Amino acid sequence: MNQTVTINISGIVFHIDVDAYEELEKYLNKIKSYFKNSQECDEIMTDIEARIAELFSEKITSDNQVIQSKDVEEVITVMGKPEQYIDEDETQEDEPKQESFSSSQRTYSSEKKLFRDPDDRMIGGVAGGLAAYMGVEALWLRLFFVVALFVGFGFLLYIILWIVMSEAKTSSDKLHMKGEPVNIDNIGKTFKDEADKLSENFKKQGHQYGKKAESAVGSFFNFFGQLLKGVFNVFGKIFGVIFLLVGTFMLVGLLGMLVGSETIFSITSDGVFSIASNEFFNLIFISEDQFHIAIIGVAIAIGLPIVMLIYAGANLLFKVKTHAGVSIGLFVLWVIGVFMCAMVGIRMATELRYNEYDTEIGIVKEVVNDSENDFYISMNSNDIPGHGILEDKYFSISLDEDSIYFSDIQLRIYESKTDSFEIEIEKDAAGHSRKDVTSKLNQMNYDYTINNDSIILGNYLSTLKENKIRGQEVNLKLYLPIGKSIYLDKSLRHVIYDIDNVTRTRDRKMLGKRWVMLAEGLTCLDCNEIEGITTLQLDSIRAIEPILLD
Amino acid sequence: MKIENTKAQMRKGVLEYCILSILKNGEAYPSEIIEKLKAGKLIVVEGTLYPLLTRLKNAGLLSYRWEESKSGPPRKYYQLTEIGSEFLKELETTWNDLVKAVNITSK
Repeated sequence: MNQTVTINISGIVFHIDVDAYEELEKYLNKIKSYFKNSQECDEIMTDIEARIAELFSEKITSDNQVIQSKDVEEVITVMGKPEQYIDEDETQEDEPKQESFSSSQRTYSSEKKLFRDPDDRMIGGVAGGLAAYMGVEALWLRLFFVVALFVGFGFLLYIILWIVMSEAKTSSDKLHMKGEPVNIDNIGKTFKDEADKLSENFKKQGHQYGKKAESAVGSFFNFFGQLLKGVFNVFGKIFGVIFLLVGTFMLVGLLGMLVGSETIFSITSDGVFSIASNEFFNLIFISEDQFHIAIIGVAIAIGLPIVMLIYAGANLLFKVKTHAGVSIGLFVLWVIGVFMCAMVGIRMATELRYNEYDTEIGIVKEVVNDSENDFYISMNSNDIPGHGILEDKYFSISLDEDSIYFSDIQLRIYESKTDSFEIEIEKDAAGHSRKDVTSKLNQMNYDYTINNDSIILGNYLSTLKENKIRGQEVNLKLYLPIGKSIYLDKSLRHVIYDIDNVTRTRDRKMLGKRWVMLAEGLTCLDCNEIEGITTLQLDSIRAIEPILLD
Repeated sequence: MKIENTKAQMRKGVLEYCILSILKNGEAYPSEIIEKLKAGKLIVVEGTLYPLLTRLKNAGLLSYRWEESKSGPPRKYYQLTEIGSEFLKELETTWNDLVKAVNITSK
């Protein structure tokens, strides 16, 4: 079946073949140019169009809804060519002038559209079509695409344009494709036309308002609609450019993230954050299948709206011809994508249902011998084995043949409820069942060296690769009796976490200093820049309140 | 000198008279007028009528009113105005004179 267009003649809507439409348009233009110098032109045209609409209405049957060339020819025979009209001659000796034929169709005939050019193509005719649209040589656009290909986004851009631009199939398409070139002058003209149309409509509406007060509300909304349309047309082009650019970059980013790159970098306020994506996600997802479903799901669920954004941009900018039914298909696909994401999400949620650390296996308590000296807390600076797959300022995950290494270790300091100095090492992991968590905790290794008056913390914990990344971490809790003092080594900078102290000194500033637990809380000892107490004062406190301190 | 041109000019002269005559018996919309004109072989194509009607209306000889139609756009129903009726009477006199003249001269 031929392509059809929908037209409005005298307020009646008809579907008409493109060929028939062109014929009709030519005919009406001819009549119009014949009468164009007479004052009654508009009125005559309106009457003739009304008659044509009447004749078309008689042609429409339930079997045949579309006006075809033969119908138009019949109508022209009945109505006659202007030369056949018997009329006074004084008004129509001028040369015919091209003009669009009626107010309702003005926009269709003058508008240029973007199509792929089947007659000027190397691959899909995208460059040819764009060239026709912009009125430049296709060679330059091809060169641009080749350069863009090496820069990286050319291929994708081409494919997107290929999808959104439909091929110029009919001669009408080709005419629209090649119409007036879009250059700065014409863009300016378009804007001016829109503005003129707007003010014309304004006048018209004002007129109508005066004429029939009963439809004042209707007029107002009609006018308001026209105003919105005009404003939208002007700003639409600007939004079109923005949509197109943003969409393209987002799509490149998304695809790059999902398939292209080995590493994801994201720059946050904490610096550069990187993930070796494939290995990382394999350690997150339960199985490779789940991983793939998630990738496809995310690509569809996030990618499709981006594609739609690009499409909307292209549409605003170029009036791309829309493929009917495509939008429904895309929507269904999008729902499937969301469903896939949800499926993986639910599966992951069950996998992480249990998150406990309060089991006996999870907690090791060590009681340290009392000593009058500072207890020295530090962390070793061994290289973390394996190669890094996720690296952050405070936290990293690395991987070798069969183990995963985490640097997720936190240290907190509390006042001891008893008289003794205690260290609690708490392991944490998540799993789909209590048993699963227990086995994961059992397989977590964390090394530390504890002496009479010092502890050297390990800087990583390790587990087997098949345990995957399941929130494994080590929380160290130091219980300090009142009157006892510690020294926090500078090597602890990544692990000390929100430690309460009397002067509310920030974690970083607490390092390299001695701290003593008093009844008020942790207090700096012999600090110059932090308000604390001196060793002498501590001695006197110890002398005055021996019972409390013991 | 072409015979077609002469014929057309003769038809053109009586066309306005005939349209006004049709409307003498009451109002009508263009398609009805066209049918009668076609029956009299005065016009061949419908397009001829519309500019004529518009001019007669603008000259004050005709007026019209809108009426909704079931099968298409609203129709214009034309009728004679007072001036139109006067105009028609004068044309009738002229026509009768012309017929007499032709009859006398062609005998």
